[in-house]
Parts: sequence; structure tokens; C-alpha cells
Amino acid sequence: MTQTLESFAIPSAGGVGPDLEVEGVTVRFGGLVAVADVSLVARGGTITGLIGPNGAGKTTTFNACTGLVSPAAGDVRLGGRSLAQHSPSWRARLGLGRTFQRMELFETLDVRENVALGREALLSGRRLTGRIFGSRTERRECLAAADAAIERCGIGHLAGAIAGDLSTGQSRLVELARALASGFRFLLLDEPSSGLDVGETEEFAAILRSVIADDGIGILLVEHDMALVRGTCSYIYVLDFGQLIYQGPAAEVLASDVVKAAYLGSEGEQ
Amino acid sequence: MKEYLPFLVIGITAGSVYGLAAVGLVLTYKTSGIFNFAHGAQAALAAYLMFEFHERMGMPWPVGMLLSLLLAGVLAGLLLERVAYGLASVGTAARVAATVGLLVAIQGGLVVAFGSATLAMRIYLPTSIVRLPGVNVRMDQLIVTVFVLVAVVGLYLFFTRTKLGLSMQAVVDDPALLGLQSINPVRVRRFAWLIGSSFAAISGMVLAPTLGLDAFLLTLLVFYAYGAAAVGRFSSLPITYVGGLVIGVAAALLTKFLNTSGPIASLPATLPFLVLFGALLVVPKHHLVERGSQAVRRPLAPLSFSRRTKVIGLAAAAVVAAAIPEVVGTKLPLFTTALAFTVLFASLSLLVRMSGQVSLCQMAFAAVGATTAARAVGAGLPFPLAVLLGGLVAIPIGALLAIPAIRLSGVYLAIATFGFGLLVQRLFFSSFLMFGKSSYVVAPRPKLGGVPVHTDTGYYFVVLLATAGCLGLLALIRTSRMGRLLRAFADSPTALNAHGTNTTELKVLVFCTSAFLAGIGGALLAPVTGTATAVSFDLGVSLLLLAVLFVAGRQPLLSAGIASALYVIVPGYIDNAHVRQYTPIVFGVLAVVAAIYGGVPLLDRLGAARRLSRRSLERSRLRARAAAWGSRPAGSAPAPVLSEVTS
Repeated sequence: MTQTLESFAIPSAGGVGPDLEVEGVTVRFGGLVAVADVSLVARGGTITGLIGPNGAGKTTTFNACTGLVSPAAGDVRLGGRSLAQHSPSWRARLGLGRTFQRMELFETLDVRENVALGREALLSGRRLTGRIFGSRTERRECLAAADAAIERCGIGHLAGAIAGDLSTGQSRLVELARALASGFRFLLLDEPSSGLDVGETEEFAAILRSVIADDGIGILLVEHDMALVRGTCSYIYVLDFGQLIYQGPAAEVLASDVVKAAYLGSEGEQ
Repeated sequence: MKEYLPFLVIGITAGSVYGLAAVGLVLTYKTSGIFNFAHGAQAALAAYLMFEFHERMGMPWPVGMLLSLLLAGVLAGLLLERVAYGLASVGTAARVAATVGLLVAIQGGLVVAFGSATLAMRIYLPTSIVRLPGVNVRMDQLIVTVFVLVAVVGLYLFFTRTKLGLSMQAVVDDPALLGLQSINPVRVRRFAWLIGSSFAAISGMVLAPTLGLDAFLLTLLVFYAYGAAAVGRFSSLPITYVGGLVIGVAAALLTKFLNTSGPIASLPATLPFLVLFGALLVVPKHHLVERGSQAVRRPLAPLSFSRRTKVIGLAAAAVVAAAIPEVVGTKLPLFTTALAFTVLFASLSLLVRMSGQVSLCQMAFAAVGATTAARAVGAGLPFPLAVLLGGLVAIPIGALLAIPAIRLSGVYLAIATFGFGLLVQRLFFSSFLMFGKSSYVVAPRPKLGGVPVHTDTGYYFVVLLATAGCLGLLALIRTSRMGRLLRAFADSPTALNAHGTNTTELKVLVFCTSAFLAGIGGALLAPVTGTATAVSFDLGVSLLLLAVLFVAGRQPLLSAGIASALYVIVPGYIDNAHVRQYTPIVFGVLAVVAAIYGGVPLLDRLGAARRLSRRSLERSRLRARAAAWGSRPAGSAPAPVLSEVTS
């Protein structure tokens, strides 16, 4: 088991990362069925979109994948391995990372420390004493991974800033950098473009494209911004009222009437 | 069977009063998200005021009661609403520290005004006997029970049937939305605090004649309400009331049933806390969602010093510490005590300042350490090993506390630590393992051949070394991975968990480390006077520690030293005993100020935020507060808070 853990957690340059498979997942909150029998496959090395109106169950699906909610039925597999029995932190150690719709930065720490902690948190689970101290080599590894991720996300000029002082757009990039520094093999991104302006969204899309091209990791993207979805996703799943109503290659889905109806319906309510 | 009936009557009467207090507590918590630890102190305040008006000034009791209700219930309620408004945008630790500070201040005030000896209060309600089938009931018991029942049912109907009552339910969930419905959230909250405080005041005035006027006892008895509140999941008013009744009846029946002296004789009095602790362990986690914690202003980063400043500061501290025995003369034991308390404050700072948790039972760990070390030295173990053993024995106790800590967070964890501290104090302090029947243990100082380490000066240096070691350990933790993970944990446990750190393990680890340090602090403290007495490790001291630590700034290590100086040395140099009595009041009030404003102005310079302008701070505070509380309109007209909704 340890071996698998290590091989997942450390990025292998060039290779294509594992697939994320969600199979028949149902999540209930009391009497409410938030997600009903959802199955999807997100391939490594590609960006898969998960779209749908507000309240469709997208974030709940994410939470079921990362173990924050326990589904009433169904299984989640990463690279063929079932994650169902594992805690959220264990799933992260197996290589499944995520960002949050409502950003979760370490707000009193500076950006470099935030990003380095992504890797350090992952390392803390390796040995029994890993929670208390790490070796100098590991610390160097964390800082090096942080600097590389900061460079990739183009936030080098913010490295010394306190995370809580940043704008939404900058914070989203820091959160992405933190996930990249961890060396996750699969990333779940929850509405990364909300709060970003058009220019920032384009920049973000470019970073995502370079990430999958360089690292071969897979990304599942929950997103409202159709420009970002169109610019990055190769395959798209559509959720509405907790159920998958449509799936297909990006261009086909975005042109579909079913999808437009689902979105128009929700916008009509707003 | 028949012989149990009188106890049933006593139980129902007492249980009704616990229920009343608990309903008031839950009401204010539900509507403001602030759990009022000073609820019991308010009850005590009301009882003392009534005593003053009725017995000392000779007013008829209904007038005295009404006056103290107006002061300790209505007026205090309105003031508390202001305090709660100020706390709407701060984190859990600060919220807890603020109401604990209030408790400390009110208790301190009562001691200054009325002395610490228990006063007798006459029963003012009619005491004629009413014959019911099988049992005689006193009129006052009947009046109290019926009054509480009417009050609770009335409140329940008000909540479920009237518009204002219904809006009270909504006010925590979304004050902005309520504002749009042309209901003023501030008015709603003010009303809730008014009722909640009045319930506390009434329960205090009703309890006082049977219990006697004792600021500490009365405060503690309304803590019985916590058990009832936990049964009602801190949310349901009717279940809370029933919980109070059940606790009262069960405690009374147990008193009759056990009817013994011995280790279980204290069980009835401990029952509410067992209920509280048990409820916190079994109530499903999703029922214990912290209220009003959605919009919390981001905590300020502690000041970090340059390496040069650190070296100079440490050197200066070493010189001062070495010179103290020459300079202070007979006051030296005071400084030794301060060093031991520095370790205690540091153990609390590790939780509060480094990982964003709260503990209200540090003195219980300290007591474990002190008694263990004292007995170990008595049994011939070398002093350093005994102190270490004191710390080590506290670790499993800390791990025990970590069981609720795993499930709970925020204010529920604070309440659990409080219940835990009381359980340890009530059930184990008098056991042969700890202080024993005599309530004290001889705590010998170290012996080391010809070296005079047992003198005042010698022992000062022993404690100085140990304190330096403990602070060094803390500094090491702070710069190690654990320290980084803890700071990350304080900011966002969710993110840390999502990145692969098992936050449960981290919590257990930090509670164990804190217990270890507190155990060592206790082990060092007792030999200063030569005895470890149960009183000096009272739960009240744990509460004061938190209040004082909050006054002492944000820097984790420095604040421990400052807090200890404030708590031990400053009062030690006030020779006038009457003036010295005021120190808890000052600490309590300053803790409230520090919690609301993020620091006490002057002291705060020592641990101030870095790179944050005053304006940006003020802005973020206002933003968070508006989101959590709804806007506070200048006039009486309710103002919709459009900006909050559209932004």
C-alpha cells in the first residue's frame, strides 16, 4: 500500500495520470437526494467539465469524491483503486486534490508558505513522526515545489504577500498553485473562475492547459463560466437536480438544447 | 417509594430553575451565535442585587426583585447585545474569551462588593405547606415550578406563533435577508438578549435562598444549565427545559439513593456535567454546527521578529532573569511563581495562539502534574524526573480530552473542556491519587547534594531553567512542521485535511502536548509554597488564564510571559488587599476589549499585526460584522442591507 501511495503522490514527468471514476454515487441529506446515481469518468491528462445550474449537486459530487460527505451508494475510484473506505486526508495522500468554491487559504501566512504547505501537509502523513517534524531535505523539497508552482501560476511577485490581503483572482491562483505544489495526480477544481475578470479567466485557462500538457494529470472542473469551459474542457457532463442529464464532447454539449434549457431555467429564476 | 417523593419535589423545583436558565442560554446562543459563559454570573449578580435591595435596604421583595431584574436582566441584556455585536466578526477563541472575561469580571465585582464569604438570604416566597396526595409541597416550590412552566410555554408559543418569534429563528441564518423583509435584525436580537438575560436573573434570584449567596457557587449552579442545553442540542427550547427537569430530578433522587459519603457522594452534583459531556459525545455531529461562525474576520498574523531582535531580546531576558534574585529581595517567590505560570500560559498559548483552539481546563492538567510530581518526589524520585513524570502523566488525560475534541470544534469544544475540567475537579481531586481528603499534598523542593537548590534563590533558578526548557520546546514546535501545520489548521482545517494532513491526529497531538506542558507547569508551581492545594488549581483559575492570555497580545511565546507578569507579578506588588481585589475585574473587562478589538491598545504593540494598515483592518472588521450581524441602522427605521445582498 505504501508503495502505491508514493507512486501516486509523486508526479511522474511525462506519464499520463490516473483516471477518476465515479460510479453510481447517490448522496442524501435527510430526505433530500442531492446527487442521484451519478456515474462519470474523467480521464487523466485531460480536463473534464462538470456543469449545471446552481444547486445541481456539483459541489456535492466533489465532496463525495474527496470524502467530505459519505454517499449512500456508489463508489469512487482513482486509477482503478476504490477510495470509498478512505478518509479525506488519505484520499489526498493517494493523489486526489481539490480546490474550494469558497476559497480556503491559510490567510495569516504568506503566499510562499501557503503553497509550500500544500506539499508539507501531504508529507506529514508519511511517517508517524511526520506530523511533528520533517527532515531538511523534505523542507527543501517543499519550498522548491512551492517556488516551481508559484512560477507556473505567474504569481512570483506575490510570494511574500499575506494570503488574506490578496484579491479574489490572486487567491484563486494561490489555491491552484498550492494544489500543484502538492503533486496531486488528479485535481478537482470547484468554480475556479468565480470572482475573476475576463483577462484573469483567460490567464487561468492557459495555466490549466499547460498543467495537463506538462504533468499529464487529470482535472475535473466545476464551472459556470462557459468561456473557461469551452477553452479547456474536452469532455463535459451536465448535472441538473442531482442527475446527469447530458454528456459528450465539449462542442456538442455546449451546442445542445437540453443544456441551454437547464441553464436558461436557472437563470430565469434568478 | 413514598420516601422518594420529597426528593422528587425538590428535584422538580431545582430542575425547573435549571431549565429556565438553560432556555435563556439557548435563546441567546440561537439568535446571536454567542455562547454566553457569563450567564451564570448574571444569575449571581441578580441574586446579590436582590439581597441588597430587599434585605439591606429594606424594600419589599417584589420591588427588590423587579429592580434587580431590570438591572441584571434587562439592562445587562441590552449591554450584552452590544458586546455580542462586537463579537460577531471575531473567531471562536475570542468569543469564548470575551464571555469568560465577563464572568470573571462579574464574579470579581461581587467579591469586592459583598465579600467572598457565603451570605444567607431569607426565603421571600410564602412557605406554607400544600398537601398533595402522598407528599407535602411548600408553596414556594409550587410557585417556582408553575412560573417556569408558564414562562417556557409562553416563550415557545411566542416563538412558533408570532412574527417576531419566527424572525428570531431566522436572524442567525441570514440577517441580511431578514433586513429585506423589513424586520430589523438588531431589534430581534436585542429582544432575545433581553429575555435570555432576564431568565438568568430570575433563576439566580430563585436559587439564592436555598443555596445561600455565594458568587462562585451560584455561577456554577447555573452552569448546570449547560447540561440541559446540551440535551436540547443547544437548539430546541422545549427539550432544553425538559433536560433541565430531568437533571434536577435525577440529581435529587441520586442524593437520596446514594445517601452515603465516599467517592460517589459527589456524583449527584457532578451529574449535570456528566450529562453535558455525554451529550457532547453522542449528539450527532451535524446537530452541533456552530452558529454564526460563517463570517469571521480573518485573524491577524502575529508579529515576527528579526533574528537580531530575537538574540538581543533573549540576552536581555537572561540578564534580567539572573539579576532578579539580587534585586527583588523577599518578593522572589513571586517571580518563581510567575515563571511556573509562564509555562501554564504557554501551554494554553499553544492551543489558543498557535492552533486556534480553546481550553478551559488547563488547571486540571496542572493539578495532575503537581500531585503526581509531589508524590513522586515524596517517594524518592529525583526532582527533574518527578517533574517530567508530572508532565507525562498529564498526557493520557489530555488524550482523553481529545476524544470530544475529535468530534467537536469551536464553542462546543470549549464547553466540553469546561465540563471535562469540572469532572476532573469534582471526581478526582479528592481521590488518593491526587489531593486526597485533606485537599493538599506536600510538594517538596529538590535536593542536590551540597548545592542549595531548595532555598528560595536556588529553587528560582531551578524553575528558571525548566521554564526556559519549556519555552524552548514551544519555540521549536513553532518553527517545526507541527507549528506550520498548526498555523495552517487555525486558518483552514478543511484545506489542510484536503491536502493530506489527518487533522484529527493533529488535534490529539496538540492537546497532548498542551497537557504535558500544563502538567510540568503545575509540578513546578506547587513546590514554591511547599504544598499543592486543591483550591489553587480550581477551574476558576483556568477561566482567568484564558482571559489574561487574551489581554497579553498575539505573539505566542511572548504573550505567555506578559500574561504571567500581569497575572502574578502586578497583583503581587499591590500591597493594599482591597485594591488587589479589583484585578480580576480589570482582567475580565480587558479580555472583553481585547476579544472585540483584536488586542488591548498598548499591550497590543508587543504582538501587533504586521503590514496591515489601520484602515484595512477596520474595513475587514466592518465587512465581516455586517455580514454576520446585519447592518445596524442609525434610527429606528429598519434599513435593508442591499449592499450585502448584491455584492
